[in-house]
Amino acid sequence: MVECSLLDKELGRPFKPGARREATPEWDKDKCVRCGLCYVYCPDGAIYRTEDGFFEADTDICKGCGICHRECWFGVISMVKED
Amino acid sequence: MDKYSLFVPNFLPFKEYFVPEKNIACAGCGLALAIRQTYKALESDIEKAEWVTSGEGKLFSKLFDKSPVGNSEPSLLKIKKTGAELLICFDNEAGGSLDDAVKKAMPAIAVAEGFHYVATACPSYPFDLYEKVKKGMESTGKAYIHILCPCPVAWQFDPELTVKVGRWAVESRAFPLYEVGSASAYNLTVTTAKPRPLADYLKPQYRFAEISEQQIASLNAAVENDYKKLADKIQPA
Repeated sequence: MVECSLLDKELGRPFKPGARREATPEWDKDKCVRCGLCYVYCPDGAIYRTEDGFFEADTDICKGCGICHRECWFGVISMVKED
Repeated sequence: MDKYSLFVPNFLPFKEYFVPEKNIACAGCGLALAIRQTYKALESDIEKAEWVTSGEGKLFSKLFDKSPVGNSEPSLLKIKKTGAELLICFDNEAGGSLDDAVKKAMPAIAVAEGFHYVATACPSYPFDLYEKVKKGMESTGKAYIHILCPCPVAWQFDPELTVKVGRWAVESRAFPLYEVGSASAYNLTVTTAKPRPLADYLKPQYRFAEISEQQIASLNAAVENDYKKLADKIQPA
């Protein structure tokens, strides 16, 4: 049997879709009308609704594609780059 | 929700059937978006869905009793329903090189093969897609839905623009959204009174970076010709 280096627990790690994100969406809650367009158009299903009716992105899943930033009618969502 | 009554997800079920933790798609994937919306429309029928694994271009010959067309092998979802099945083709145009850039008219082939319900859809119009999948499940015989999925990697555009590019494809009449019910009754579901210039659709895609004005003009003529053929089939009710 050939040993695989990926099976070594130090090298192998569980897959996280949002691990290589370049930018994270952030909502301006003063402008947001809570229409839910960002939720409908998110290809990864990362955006969920909080108890107060606003929307947030799950940082483990979000890939930072920026579709929500483009599709928001009111310009609420801004993509914040991470260092 | 006190100030505004507009709430878009009210028109769609809130339950997610898509498993985001296992989604290995690229950022801004149009295919993932289309699958997520399709799964929402299928709801409880989701267990009957099955992905068709294609091999060596034999996919279409198997499904339509015809010789294979081109090299492209789009992903195909097969859902069993009473007496027949619903086929959903997720087309990201990734198999085509410049030589076979002219797309085979899969919906037209499906109409000729006697499918009872044929439709084209795009994830940029989620409610349209949702209703078409619902109608496809409700129709009596075989049904076929062709979904255009913009692919940021193969088409080479900014992942932000996935939904916009799909919308421009529809607005420039390059990919008209229509449905064909029983007795070949054509129906345009998204009408474009004033078409957007085709260059608007081609420009953001870097795969068309070396396209010339002449080629755009000839493509535009082909698009208008196809749209005219489609418009002639639509009989005023």
